[in-house]
Amino acid sequence: MKLAMPGSLQVRLALRLAALYVAATAIAVGILVYQAYETADTLNDRELTLRAADLARHVTIDSSGAARLELPPALAASYQAGGNSDIFAVRRGADAVLAAFPPNFSEAAIKWPLATDEPSYFHLKDFGSEGREYYGLTVMQSSAAGPLSVSVARAADADILVHSLLREFVLDIAWVIPVLVMVTLMVGVFAIRSAFRPVADISRIAAAIAPGAMSIRLPEKNLPSEITPLVAAVNHALDRLEEGFDLQRQFTANAAHELRTPLAIVTAALDSIDENAEIAKIKADVARMNRLVDQLLRVARLDAVALDVSDRLDLNEVAADIVGSMAPWSLARKKPIAFHGENKPVVIKGNRYAIGDAIRNLVENAVTHTASGSEVTVSTYANGSISIADRGPGIPPEQRNHVFERFWRGKATNSTGAGLGLAIVAEIMKAHHGSVSVDDNPGGGMVFTLRFGRDEPSGIKRPRGGGGAK
Amino acid sequence: MRLLVVEDETRIAELVKTALARVGFAVDVVSLCADARAALAVTSYDATIIDLGLPDGDGLSLLRELRTRGNQTPVLVLTARDAVEDRVRGLDTGADDYLVKPFAMTELIARTKALLRRPGGALGMTLKAGNISFDTIERGVRVEGTSLILPRRESAILENLMRRLGRVVPKAVFEEKLYGLDDEHGSNTIPVHIHHLRRKLLDAGATAEIHTVRGVGYLLTETSS
Repeated sequence: MKLAMPGSLQVRLALRLAALYVAATAIAVGILVYQAYETADTLNDRELTLRAADLARHVTIDSSGAARLELPPALAASYQAGGNSDIFAVRRGADAVLAAFPPNFSEAAIKWPLATDEPSYFHLKDFGSEGREYYGLTVMQSSAAGPLSVSVARAADADILVHSLLREFVLDIAWVIPVLVMVTLMVGVFAIRSAFRPVADISRIAAAIAPGAMSIRLPEKNLPSEITPLVAAVNHALDRLEEGFDLQRQFTANAAHELRTPLAIVTAALDSIDENAEIAKIKADVARMNRLVDQLLRVARLDAVALDVSDRLDLNEVAADIVGSMAPWSLARKKPIAFHGENKPVVIKGNRYAIGDAIRNLVENAVTHTASGSEVTVSTYANGSISIADRGPGIPPEQRNHVFERFWRGKATNSTGAGLGLAIVAEIMKAHHGSVSVDDNPGGGMVFTLRFGRDEPSGIKRPRGGGGAK
Repeated sequence: MRLLVVEDETRIAELVKTALARVGFAVDVVSLCADARAALAVTSYDATIIDLGLPDGDGLSLLRELRTRGNQTPVLVLTARDAVEDRVRGLDTGADDYLVKPFAMTELIARTKALLRRPGGALGMTLKAGNISFDTIERGVRVEGTSLILPRRESAILENLMRRLGRVVPKAVFEEKLYGLDDEHGSNTIPVHIHHLRRKLLDAGATAEIHTVRGVGYLLTETSS
């Protein structure tokens, strides 16, 4: 099973740093403890050797030539007081035990080979009445009675020195270690964070890059050298993207000019001819052609150029403008049009021209389909939506999913539209992350509703910042 | 009345000239920015119609130049550009109105007349809508030649509607022009004035009628007989 790695580089670095600290500390403490034991062992060895020498010094030869161990009273007393913690056996030759403390140690010591120049270590398990464990050494010592083989040992549980040393270490020093690790870790994390600040800064700048703000580039100065190539590559990609956008924009603008000029000529020429039935028909055909070209260009523009939807606008204002500009056209068809605006401004984020186009298309659609003499109503709501209602024949429920497809036209309608109007509306809403829906209008007809997200007054930080509602 | 048309598309220029000449304007046509500059320097035109895409420069820069020099001739901008932003840019630069190609010639004539009818414009004296005429100096209203007496506010409403014949005049415009800022009861009385005015025009047999665009404003249209 793989361990899931957190995504943040900062967290990763901090975790690795922490692991490194803990491992380093563990090794350091281990070495320290080992060293303490080593030192204690060396001290022990030296003490035992000294004791062996001490014992040998007190071996004397009496008048009869026999060797004897004559301990001074203070030393003998200290051995006695130790309660068998410190034991010894002094041998002269293979079988002769000069002295032993406690006396039964001689039974064990007599079996051992005599000491050589090198001290030999021994380990007694379960010795004496109390069954204690002893560590000791046998060493050759010269004395008044010639070379002696002296075995000295100390009970393992009597290693007071080492134990007290370790206790001291744990109490006085060891508690500092976790604190030290924590402090170092915190300093480490802080250092990582400050090292990553330039990255956070360029992220903020990058977030501001949008179709309407294509010229922003990420600063390449004061960056860690590991990141500079990435930032340079991103900037280069942005250059090429901007070029692409410009080309597309240029192309649609040129196409618009090239297509519209001949149409303008035909339209104007027809206007200068005295009207008759045939001219009226041609005029209608040209008007249809105009509309088709217009819509095709809009679709091309929406496809080619990403819409800048970062503007703040009042839906009331945009809708009233469109209703006002379309009223003469609508009234000429004996179809009144009305606007019911929310009392307060309905501020949303989007592209006012595109939203105006969407509303215009829906109003055109509604006016075309509503019954003569019936009213088309445009209404805005506080939740950031706008509806366009008509009193037309309606759309059968099974066809409603298709109305937003390109070049789709209802079978029943004999409209002159190209079937692009509603597709354009759907595209525009998609670019705004909004939605368009079609429902029955209570009392007959259809209602188209455009839903935008309300612009939250204080939400995501934006480079330009934004005031409240106008 | 003399107009300058700056348009490089010869067919369109020709048709525009014919149409405007037919309704009584004297029209000069040039196809280059440089020629336009020369023409504007020697002749005082009552209005100028400028196409935005010209072979030797941008119509917008010509317009900007004109305005910087203090020339206040009304300017109507023609554009084949798709982006609505361009039209708005045109208005910001100092254009008085704009038309997107292709346009109906009747629309061009109506817009041109509307420009000339503006205060200070060459057609500023008498406004016309159907058989209604409005003398902006004597403030007299006539329907089919017969004088119609209107109270001050109704007459002001009619003037505003006639200045923008066929286009919606937003409620806010009436509120602004008819009442002072301190007059709080203003906006409620406008529908009442409109109602009276509509009645009087109907009774006098006017061939123009006032339409209400609920929630937006009012517009005056000529009734097609």
